[in-house]
Amino acid sequence: MILFEFDHERPNTPDEAVALLTHAGPDARLLAGGTDLIPNMRYRTVTPALLVSLGAIQPEAPREEKDGSLRLDALAKLVTIENSALVRKRAPMLAESAHTVAGNQIRQMGTLGGNLCQDTRCLYFNQQHDFQFVAPCYKRGGDCCYPFPRNDKSTCWSVFMSDIAPALIALKAEIEIQGEQGLRRQPLEALYAGDGLKPHKLGQAELLRAVIVPPASPRQGWGYHKESVRGGLEFGMAILAATVTLAADSKACEGARLALGAVREAPVRLTETEKAMAGQALDAERIAEIAEAASQEVNPLPHHGFTKAHLRDVIRIQMRRLLARAVERAVNPNA
Amino acid sequence: MYERPVSGLEAKTKSRSRVIVLSVNGETHEVMVRPRHRLIDVIRDQLNLTGTKDGCQSGTCGACTVLLNGRPVLACLTLAVDCDGKEVRTIEGLAENGQLNKVQEAFLDQGAIQCGFCTPGMVMSATALLDDNPKPSRHQIDKALEGNLCRCTGYNAIVDAVLQASGQGGVKPVMK
Repeated sequence: MILFEFDHERPNTPDEAVALLTHAGPDARLLAGGTDLIPNMRYRTVTPALLVSLGAIQPEAPREEKDGSLRLDALAKLVTIENSALVRKRAPMLAESAHTVAGNQIRQMGTLGGNLCQDTRCLYFNQQHDFQFVAPCYKRGGDCCYPFPRNDKSTCWSVFMSDIAPALIALKAEIEIQGEQGLRRQPLEALYAGDGLKPHKLGQAELLRAVIVPPASPRQGWGYHKESVRGGLEFGMAILAATVTLAADSKACEGARLALGAVREAPVRLTETEKAMAGQALDAERIAEIAEAASQEVNPLPHHGFTKAHLRDVIRIQMRRLLARAVERAVNPNA
Repeated sequence: MYERPVSGLEAKTKSRSRVIVLSVNGETHEVMVRPRHRLIDVIRDQLNLTGTKDGCQSGTCGACTVLLNGRPVLACLTLAVDCDGKEVRTIEGLAENGQLNKVQEAFLDQGAIQCGFCTPGMVMSATALLDDNPKPSRHQIDKALEGNLCRCTGYNAIVDAVLQASGQGGVKPVMK
């Protein structure tokens, strides 16, 4: 049982859901798969008065649009993304990233949109208040920050741990948001505020409808890695995703997108490193230099017991490996 | 502002309860639930099917795994009101005519049990896997059971049991 009372609505269409959210005001929350929200409600880190459940709305199957892009319903279950033949063919990195999320039951329940809109996490914050030392932290409406005692009230250094967001950012995905004013489309990066207290820029009466992945350019390769301790049923220590596009000679780098997850309050794009990669011939030596630059460009937050130096090492080593893999895949797409 | 429902006695008079229809192990039940009730509260406390275990209550142990419309889900993270009209299978519903199903038999044969708290969840996850994929590899079994924690056995006996249940055992049963 959840230890406070709340109400529950089950709209049949997204329009009805938006209308309910508009009517109910800021005390209402959307419930999709529930694998992030329900534990948080049990810990009472969120205490909505109304849950608007999206369970009655049937998600569309992943499909290809006329311009060749891949359209995914935000309510699609993670198992659908992971096992869809179309996703595996058109955006294998997305299927791989969905595959690394938590365990089977959570992938059966969790949705793509819910994964992208999950709350940030912190070892101190994500527990029952009874277990906490003294007072609630800033994110819980209290007056201190235990992991970073010198933080002020406007900062919360919890980290955003979606496994899928970095992959979608590297794939240049866009999202479709439905609100009172109708649909709007924006790059996925623009969803994240980079603020641990309020990590998303989604309006109060808005919901994520779809994720659109543009077609891959020719000679584009990808690499994805989720670093974790156990390798299953856990949040990542650092999540790395990269796409590399080679020029016509299959040697020089024409463009790259690198994204990291779980190291800051929002997924991080390594724009400086991406710029430095343009036009370079990506041999082993050069890749090692790029990986070093990537680990220096980001300032990882120590989280869940991992130190900043350790996270930098992880990023440097794994970035080197996955860039090599991405170049391999760009040269030979069947690799 | 949304008016928060009140708790306690007042809630009972100003009820936001509703009746849902659940088919549990083939039997149809009508149960009265409030939004705060999770599926596991209904299964254990209202239907008295206590085979399903309530472990971590936050989705990290898998002890509460049940099949909801055939898919393995965590009953501790599913709200009961969202299960109206759905079909639930729990560990009690696996035996047919007093005969344990092949996964349960294999768990016994292999001694894949120590304290037994994770076993209902393990068996449900394994049953769902074998429904989908009758001949899984060892890796596929690992992946299907990754959401179920066992703190006693070290998992080897459990994976052996699932291999045996899928008819590709080759591992000698330790108990008969």
